[in-house]
Amino acid sequence: MKRLFAVTLGILTAIGGFVDIGDLVTNALVGARFGMRLAWVVVVGVIGICLYAEMSGRVVAVSGRPVFDLIRERLGRRTGLFALIASFLVTLLTLIAEIGGVALAFELASGVNYLLWMPLAAFAVWLVIWRVKFSHLEQVFGLLGLLLIVFAVALWKLGPDWGDLVQQATSPGPIGHETWATYAYYGIALFGAAMTPYEVFFFSSGGVEEKWDRRDLVTERSNVFIGFPLGGLLSLAIAGCAAVLYLPIGVQVETLGQVTLPAAVAFGKLGLAIVLLGVFAATFGAALETSLSCGYTIAQYFGWQWGKFVRPRQASRFHVVMIICLILSILVLMTAVDPVKVTEYSVVFAAMALPLTYLPILIIANDPDYMGEQKNGRVLNFFALVYLGLLLLASIAAIPLMIVTRAGR
Amino acid sequence: MAAEGRVLHAQLHLLDRQLIHERTGELLGKVDDVELDLDAGIPVLTALISGHERIPATQIVAIDSAIKILPGDLDLTKGDDWVEQHIIDKIPGAGDATE
Repeated sequence: MKRLFAVTLGILTAIGGFVDIGDLVTNALVGARFGMRLAWVVVVGVIGICLYAEMSGRVVAVSGRPVFDLIRERLGRRTGLFALIASFLVTLLTLIAEIGGVALAFELASGVNYLLWMPLAAFAVWLVIWRVKFSHLEQVFGLLGLLLIVFAVALWKLGPDWGDLVQQATSPGPIGHETWATYAYYGIALFGAAMTPYEVFFFSSGGVEEKWDRRDLVTERSNVFIGFPLGGLLSLAIAGCAAVLYLPIGVQVETLGQVTLPAAVAFGKLGLAIVLLGVFAATFGAALETSLSCGYTIAQYFGWQWGKFVRPRQASRFHVVMIICLILSILVLMTAVDPVKVTEYSVVFAAMALPLTYLPILIIANDPDYMGEQKNGRVLNFFALVYLGLLLLASIAAIPLMIVTRAGR
Repeated sequence: MAAEGRVLHAQLHLLDRQLIHERTGELLGKVDDVELDLDAGIPVLTALISGHERIPATQIVAIDSAIKILPGDLDLTKGDDWVEQHIIDKIPGAGDATE
């Protein structure tokens, strides 16, 4: 159990990346439209985030400097500011969606409209940030989020034709009336979700919150290599359930209710209860991850005191940024905009932020001044460069594909 | 001093680097600019600029992955103090450690 507690930072970080509200729906939607034909993208994404999260975690353990600190240091004030704006907007849009997602989970459980739950959800997120210790926050929401494993168990219970699923996974490409453009669009959406920038902001800042040093390199690596593959597994299980239940009958997935249905089909009311608790924990965890990341990025760019390891009054600007972000979330959601749609637009900003986030990590991880003996090896650098190319490609293609496919429709 | 001093690359080692209080570990801002003495032959670092504050080189303790300084009388956390007084301190629990 103690071992499990040691890797909850990695688990919570991955949940925010792979199964936050936008991805819950995107995974199920992709499963319903393409079966497992995009599963390889999730695998590619898991490897990519593992490479770069490990680098950012190692840099923190060795030098004590989190990612956005380095982004400004290596890119300078101007380019750093551009990176800040792009990545802050992705993170804020995701936060808005998550607050909506927590409220939607409550709507599903209670029948009361999500707009009424929404201010309460935002307040609860703030209260946890204000009062709860970082390690408790990651343990509670990281472990509760693991309830989403119910999707994997449900997939098994639904008794699919496994050969058929494997066949889909090994034959990439669109089917039926789907085009290569929509296939590529959702491929980029899944890849972007796996490598979304706030994961490394949260993970590296979390390392500082947990006071990692050189002795914690093993902990850092276990967090990466357990947390992110688990996130990828959840994402694949959700797609798998939708592929089994919706693909054969041609149903399109648009709502959170449809995402959770496979668990109810497999296990009845108990399944539904577990999956709703899991969705609540995952979206609430992602809301914590994104609101803290909003504070981390801005404070680290400007060099302000940040962190939950000090009292709120000692990091007052950091806390005020998060309060403003949460109030903004309430205001945006009040317009009755669909929370799931909000994350679709965050793809645009994510595309701009991706290369600017990961390039400085790679540069610092190779800097002997910072890293000494712990700097990157050649093999790692080779793969990291390949991924930097992929990120650049995704960032160039994302916006045109979004326009051409009218956001995947 | 110039002869024995460490050779620094302004862009790589100084600009945009995090300032830290040497004793308390408090985060005190970023290095926005540097002040050099060009009369000495080799340029010598005389001060760091952060916001409107000038930090004399004598108050620098270490230049590492962050720059450790002894701020003395300098007021580097004006912004934070203002927000603390006017907003954060009005919320219950602002001075408590988290649980």
